[in-house]
Amino acid sequence: MTKRTDNFHIALLSAYAVGLHGIEALIPTPVPWLRIGLANIITLTTLLLYGFRAGMTVTLIRIFLGSFLRGTFLGPAFVLSLGGGVSSTIIMWLAHILFKRLLSPIGLSLLGAVTHNIAQLFLAYLFFVRRPEAIIIISPVILLLGTITGVFNGMITGLIMKRVTESGRQKTADF
Amino acid sequence: MDKLIFLLLIILTVISFPLAKKFIHPGNLVKIASDNKIAYVLPLDEAETVTVKGAAGDSVIEIKNRKVRMKESPCPNKLCVRQGWIESGAIVCVPNRVVVTISNDENNGQYDAVSR
Repeated sequence: MTKRTDNFHIALLSAYAVGLHGIEALIPTPVPWLRIGLANIITLTTLLLYGFRAGMTVTLIRIFLGSFLRGTFLGPAFVLSLGGGVSSTIIMWLAHILFKRLLSPIGLSLLGAVTHNIAQLFLAYLFFVRRPEAIIIISPVILLLGTITGVFNGMITGLIMKRVTESGRQKTADF
Repeated sequence: MDKLIFLLLIILTVISFPLAKKFIHPGNLVKIASDNKIAYVLPLDEAETVTVKGAAGDSVIEIKNRKVRMKESPCPNKLCVRQGWIESGAIVCVPNRVVVTISNDENNGQYDAVSR
């Protein structure tokens, strides 16, 4: 496989991530803070297929492009998104290389979701709402939702990985 | 290993709920803060609608029937408005930096002024 097709796939994966990110904003959710984090499916798939640099590239492209499209660039939502995205990508990659055989995409996705949530709560506290009781009150709900969405996204990533590795890496673009 | 992480998170979640509950006072005061500064402290049992200036514009907070809601907000996602009426806990609007909490009379000393 040449470098050029890799770059092509990474660009395509970034586009998927931006698309999912945008679609997700349109889905009505029962709880206001609930974000499924569908874009994390793409981040995790990229990490597993192409490694850390590619995964981080897709995450950063998704966050920057997503914020340009929604007009939230450099606003609070952007800061939370950037902090959560970057930290969860790092943690998922570290867990993947440290516990190579022990963790399936579900475990990795769970770690990513929780890291994302904790980073966002921390940043929200640090920069926007210096009210510890407000952060503590919403933490359990966010933790619970993160666990549920983490398993969901991990299962989908697992299905994608299964299809991709069965049909060979060249078919990545087709899923 | 997957199951271990899952189990750990579930346990953490289960433990954190009662812990967080301790911070939710069945209070009777509505505290409205903008940009980390207390703007209003209002009794929960009196119907009132107030407007608070936040980072992005004016938030409108309504108190009625011992419940509070964010009636209007200039933030893009309107998560605070969609949260609806609350009896306890908090409504946090990050974009506009407006926080509404329901608590009781304790720790009154930390505020400079109380407007009723």
